Amino acid sequence: MAPQDRLIPAFSRAPSSPLQGYQTARPPLLDVADLCVAYGRREVVSNAGFRLERGRSLALIGESGSGKSTIARAILRLLPAEARASGHVAFEGQEVLSLPERRFRPLRGRAIGFVPQDPGHALNPVRTIGAQALEAAARLDSGVHDKAARKAHVLDIFAQVGLDQPQRVFDSYPHQLSGGMLQRVLIGLAVLPRPALLVADEPTSALDVTIQKRILDLLSRLREDLDIALLLITHDLAIAAERADRLVVLKDGRIQEEGRTAAVFAAPASAYARKLQGDVPALNPDRYRPLKDRAARQRAETAAGHDKIIVSGMTKRFLVDGRSLTAVDDVSFKVAAGTTHALVGESGSGKTTTIRLLLGLEQADEGEITIAGHRLRAGDRTSMRAVWRQLQLVYQNPFTSLDPSWTVERLVREPLDRFGIGERAERDERVRAALASVRLSEDLLSRRPGALSGGQRQRVAIARALVLKPDVIVLDEPTSALDVSVQAEIVEVLLSLQAELGLTYLFVSHDLALVRQLAETVSVMRHGRIIEDGRVAEIFDQPREAYTRTLLASIPSGASRNALLTPLETEPGRAAARVEVLA
Amino acid sequence: MRHAYLSFAGKRLAQAAVVILLAYVFTFIVVSILPGDPVTNVLRNPQNGFSEEEIQSIIAAQGLDRPVLVQLWSSLSSFLTGDLGLSLRSSRPVTTMIAEVLPSTLTLATSALTVALTLAVLIAYGTQFLPKRWGQGLLRGFPSLFLSVPSFVIGLVLIHVFGFKLGLFRVIEPDSAWATFFAAVALGIPVSARIAEVLIANLDQEARQEYAAVARSRGLGQAALFFRHLVKPSLLPVVTVVALSFGELLGDSLITEAVFGRNGVGSLVQRSVATQDLPVLQAVVSLAAAVFVLVNLLADLVYPLLDPRVTLIGPARQSPTKAVETAAPGAAA
Repeated sequence: MAPQDRLIPAFSRAPSSPLQGYQTARPPLLDVADLCVAYGRREVVSNAGFRLERGRSLALIGESGSGKSTIARAILRLLPAEARASGHVAFEGQEVLSLPERRFRPLRGRAIGFVPQDPGHALNPVRTIGAQALEAAARLDSGVHDKAARKAHVLDIFAQVGLDQPQRVFDSYPHQLSGGMLQRVLIGLAVLPRPALLVADEPTSALDVTIQKRILDLLSRLREDLDIALLLITHDLAIAAERADRLVVLKDGRIQEEGRTAAVFAAPASAYARKLQGDVPALNPDRYRPLKDRAARQRAETAAGHDKIIVSGMTKRFLVDGRSLTAVDDVSFKVAAGTTHALVGESGSGKTTTIRLLLGLEQADEGEITIAGHRLRAGDRTSMRAVWRQLQLVYQNPFTSLDPSWTVERLVREPLDRFGIGERAERDERVRAALASVRLSEDLLSRRPGALSGGQRQRVAIARALVLKPDVIVLDEPTSALDVSVQAEIVEVLLSLQAELGLTYLFVSHDLALVRQLAETVSVMRHGRIIEDGRVAEIFDQPREAYTRTLLASIPSGASRNALLTPLETEPGRAAARVEVLA
Repeated sequence: MRHAYLSFAGKRLAQAAVVILLAYVFTFIVVSILPGDPVTNVLRNPQNGFSEEEIQSIIAAQGLDRPVLVQLWSSLSSFLTGDLGLSLRSSRPVTTMIAEVLPSTLTLATSALTVALTLAVLIAYGTQFLPKRWGQGLLRGFPSLFLSVPSFVIGLVLIHVFGFKLGLFRVIEPDSAWATFFAAVALGIPVSARIAEVLIANLDQEARQEYAAVARSRGLGQAALFFRHLVKPSLLPVVTVVALSFGELLGDSLITEAVFGRNGVGSLVQRSVATQDLPVLQAVVSLAAAVFVLVNLLADLVYPLLDPRVTLIGPARQSPTKAVETAAPGAAA
């Protein structure tokens, strides 16, 4: 019996592969057993074990702090000096952890490739891509010592990973390329020596959705073409289900569940895996239906039919390097009171500039903005103060948007102080009410952001926006820096608040699965223009524009692309499992 | 890119020239408002034994009887043509006097800088890769130790050990190669401490960057990682420190030259201050200002070569979309 079976919960499961009998003759490509990693006394990975066969793919899934990246780095022996790893990591039967650095180094970059999380920080910023690529090529024992031949090899790989202008990329510095291009470069460098194993640590979490899909497709293609085994680290269950043969679910450094993707996906055995599955927006489009229905009833009762945000013909140009660049081009939309409108688009589509215009941080060149009945005149402070009372912002990244030296109490109270609202006692009362409405305990009042988790911080940010009792809240990718389960909590808080208080949300996101869950109407932006808008249900069912279809196609479906490798799964069975999860 | 760099370099060069001129004018004004009149202090000093005719001819030659502004104007215009006037004491051209001592000081300063850089890089490399049990911690203490010992103490110890005990060089030949080397060591050690401190701090920071781990994942060894990846990005602040230290080197060379008995700019400054030889003083101070400005100009010109992200002409206007959207780190696991 395969060793991984001792780790799965105690019920029988079909043998994982018809080839298993053959494969036990050779040691598996990667065999991890009893792996523990500790920082001082704090153990972050406990007794982790799994196997990866040649040419197969395995996904390590978990939230921040689950230890998934730590496992990846332990395998690559890239842990920081203060971390201690014990247990067994065998690569092609050879013990890796105890190997001297001198003997392990030849494995790195030749037999084991690494694709990091954030391509923007994974290349030396002061050297050209070419210099770094040649350096990697020079380490191969291909017998090629000719610089021109090496360069040709590098350019060839660049072309293979889908870079249109290999020579331009070769001559560029990292900051001159986009994140997607950099990730292609990094993948290219990782597969240059045709390694047997590729470790990809959240390879797409820093990228736009459409680019995410292309990068994942590239990895799948390379895996098949070059017969590389893939160890994929991700927090996104939908991506893992789509791309991996086997799944390992981690929580707090311990393996919760392990098995074939189809099996784990159809019937998660552990409570944690079930929760994880329930929290992935792509898999649960109707999760918040009851909350949204409640909000709709509330709207119908109060008959708040008028529009809270009216933007018409808004245009903004910037001067970049002497050229005029139209960041926002003739944008118009309306948001009805008590509803959520989503602005969707990739980086550079003009979403953020639109928000800055709404907040009066930039002055529009043309067009009109009306918020909760106030005509917006950017630059006029008194009129802007009236607008800001009605319009609050929840920023993208709660790790940088809260002053780390302020207490929660002071952070949430600040808007009241600024607008001189109420007496001291009344302010305290409102701060407490705001915290209660985002379900934060009053014990946190004296804490500072450093002592809060990401989810708690974002709730403080929401409480801070709520404390003025505004009509409109702008949500700028409010969950993109958070884990899926934390994201689900935040979304739930937001939708309950909307149902109770009749808030109007402008929700900016690139995550279409999330938009489908919580918005009523949507505008799709591209190159500063709105190319398509309407009700979410209609746009998602019948997109008119090719670009919208591309965006929709990038939502991971959770369906495995490796149909040949996984035994047939009866559709009704899978559907039943999904219903059970939702119930 | 090349064109942008050249126009950037041209602008900085013009700025540097203006700063040097201003420094000259400033020195002139400071010297002229200082208490003590050179005529009474130097020329009429009975020790110097000038006769009244000689004094009158020197005053006429130096133009000391004219109004200050006129003196400034003529002094400035001859400065621009490279004429630094005549020494009050010896009546020799100041240019010649400086030319005599400058090579010695420049040799000392550049050797000292070489010593400082070499030492700093060695210490920094050690702190990155020397195993803990081989004294990495001890090595990290070196910079503070170096900073706390004055260079003249190091100089005296070096002379005692290598000059007298080991006989590597003779104290009466201060310009011999070994003597110059040890003078440079004495002068360079405190400077190396400062460079090493900044270099270590930056290397520590760069070594923690993701790209260092990724480079290691491609199979790079320690030395290759250090020299090809970590040093260059760590150098930016080091360049600033070196530029600032160079001025300090010139100042400290005064003491080191005295300790080692070298005849350099330092000893010229000492003599001209002691005898209130104003033209020489004016020239040396302006020279120091010029060196300072030129070294910092050099640093400015090196920055863009070290880091392609340095913008050449002022802060570039970023499009706000880019600025905000790139600030989103992914959920770190």
